Amino acid sequence: MIDEMAVLEVRHISKDYRISGENSLIAKTFHAVEDVSLSVRKGETFGIVGESGCGKSTLARLMVCLEKPTSGEVLFQGMRMDTMPEGQLRRVRPRFQMVFQDSGSSLNPRKRVQDILREPMLYHRIGNRQQVDRRVDELLEMVGLPVEMKDRYPHAFSGGQRQRICIARALSLNPDVIVLDEPVSALDVSVQAQILNLLRELQEKLGLTYVFIGHGLGAVHYVSHRIAVMYLGQIVEYGSSDELFDHPAHPYTKALLDAAPVAQVDARDRIRTSLKGEMDEEPPRGACPLFNRCPFADASCEKFENRMREIAPGHFTVCSRAKEG
Amino acid sequence: MAGSFCQHHASREVGITQQLLEIRHLQIDFVQGHSRSRAASDVSFGVGSGEILCVVGESGSGKSITALSILGLLNRQGRVSGGEILFEGKNLLDMKEEELDRIRGTGIAMIFQDIMYSLNPVFTIGMQLTEGMIRHRGISRKEAWAEGIRLLERTGIRNAPQVMKKYPHMLSGGMRQRVMIAMALSCRPKLLIADEPTTALDVTIQYQIMELLRSLRDETGMSILLITHDLGVVAEMADRVVVMYAGQCIEEAPLAELLEHPAHAYTQSLMRAVPGIHDDRSHLLYSIPGYVPQEYGEMQGCRFAPRCPKGAECPIRSLEEWREIRPGHRTRCWIEGGAGDDR
Repeated sequence: MIDEMAVLEVRHISKDYRISGENSLIAKTFHAVEDVSLSVRKGETFGIVGESGCGKSTLARLMVCLEKPTSGEVLFQGMRMDTMPEGQLRRVRPRFQMVFQDSGSSLNPRKRVQDILREPMLYHRIGNRQQVDRRVDELLEMVGLPVEMKDRYPHAFSGGQRQRICIARALSLNPDVIVLDEPVSALDVSVQAQILNLLRELQEKLGLTYVFIGHGLGAVHYVSHRIAVMYLGQIVEYGSSDELFDHPAHPYTKALLDAAPVAQVDARDRIRTSLKGEMDEEPPRGACPLFNRCPFADASCEKFENRMREIAPGHFTVCSRAKEG
Repeated sequence: MAGSFCQHHASREVGITQQLLEIRHLQIDFVQGHSRSRAASDVSFGVGSGEILCVVGESGSGKSITALSILGLLNRQGRVSGGEILFEGKNLLDMKEEELDRIRGTGIAMIFQDIMYSLNPVFTIGMQLTEGMIRHRGISRKEAWAEGIRLLERTGIRNAPQVMKKYPHMLSGGMRQRVMIAMALSCRPKLLIADEPTTALDVTIQYQIMELLRSLRDETGMSILLITHDLGVVAEMADRVVVMYAGQCIEEAPLAELLEHPAHAYTQSLMRAVPGIHDDRSHLLYSIPGYVPQEYGEMQGCRFAPRCPKGAECPIRSLEEWREIRPGHRTRCWIEGGAGDDR
């Protein structure tokens, strides 16, 4: 998928880890991400959903070059990032930032908030002292925190406020892209809505591009323009948020949507697609990754090609049995 | 099962009399040095036999603390400073440690959110699973082992005999939670307390575990007290719901009644703040301003008032007062019409 409007793009990207086996000392290879291609357009929010262990966080880290891919390419505004020397990479880094799930451990407990926000600017030598100070106030205001609180330490803030600090820090260098790895998963429902709204507001105001990773389907749907669904290191389906959630084509997407609990009276009685077993069971060689668990699998699924097929405009899936239209 | 369920419904009609577990005006304090802070005040609810009662609330609402206090599992800082917890009519708070120990396991069992730390990493699943049975049911090691395999199979674990010999780290999160459930069931409890049992699990596994818990209830007729923060889980599981906020029960109703006619401004806000998967995305999401209060010891009246859209109109009432909306549905919200009461 070559995209003219792409800001951030990955092509046939894979990441393998060597792990020692359960009962032996012989190292095995674990494919965390396998042959993933996607492009994120300017000003959009690209959501990635999937269950734990599906490789979505690894993909996020690959996209911001915190990890080097085993194979494949990472492009930021057409520049090859994965092969870029570290010194040069450091100069591009301010333009893509990351926010993590655990705001508690991603803030240094021994630094005041203003020092936390100042640090990226000092490191990248942006602005003089007064400019940096002014920028700190501006950032706090932007994320809805009282400026008087800048002398406090992270422990004095609640989970939601700490996540606001993390967002402010990510914004401090005026990035083009922010990769958000489960930014609201650890937060209470009432606070979650505040952060989701803040993210959308900031996107409109600053023209930011987001990659939003999450497992809360409602939250991902709310912020994303397009969504990709990952399973066992591969993207199995992607499309515009509404199209994907209203007309899921891949059995895994269907099962994921059906399993999500809904706060409605008749929620229990709806007919659902459900999967057998768990993700850790390896499918037979060459078969579709979902082969063991899929309720619709037949003989044709034993030969699997990891190739995206367009079943509706802008809606792609790897499932060979998904119907078009 | 059908019998006990009907019986429960019948008992609700006559008023809350035949409850398996009844918590009355429970009050829990945290003591640290000379300072005391209240973690729960005036918590009252009952669980009927064969019933699934969900207690829903955000962090700091006091829901987990309440659950822990039932089995006397509060750590040193937590102290029950008032109220009573009646199990089959007997006050658990008055019991000696040995008596309570008999209730744990055979009367009441508990499973936790933290599947990582709830199993001992240095013992096999089999050893941990059979320990309770040998101790509480007085059966032999061999019988317990066979029973353990049956229990694991019942919770949906394939090749259970091999799993018995494995260590916790060799199992996935979903498998570990199944082991925990098997362990909780091993002494045939009358009440299962489940504190966020699916929060650490993925949605497809969460769904499997919820199905499992429901079918176990139907089969054995045990009651379940389910603690959760997720209204979706509530909708999938509950017969009746208690909503908690800032250490207090604020609303109580049968499931359908609560979902269709939430009466407390907090319950309503909570329901609106959750983005649904088919919702229109063009609007800003409804969000509750502010944060859950950390200190509310001396707060007068409704604790949600500072964050409530109609907080200014709220008539200050004492904490004890309830407003009955319909039989079985009561709330501590006193704003008529608007923020509640659509009847």
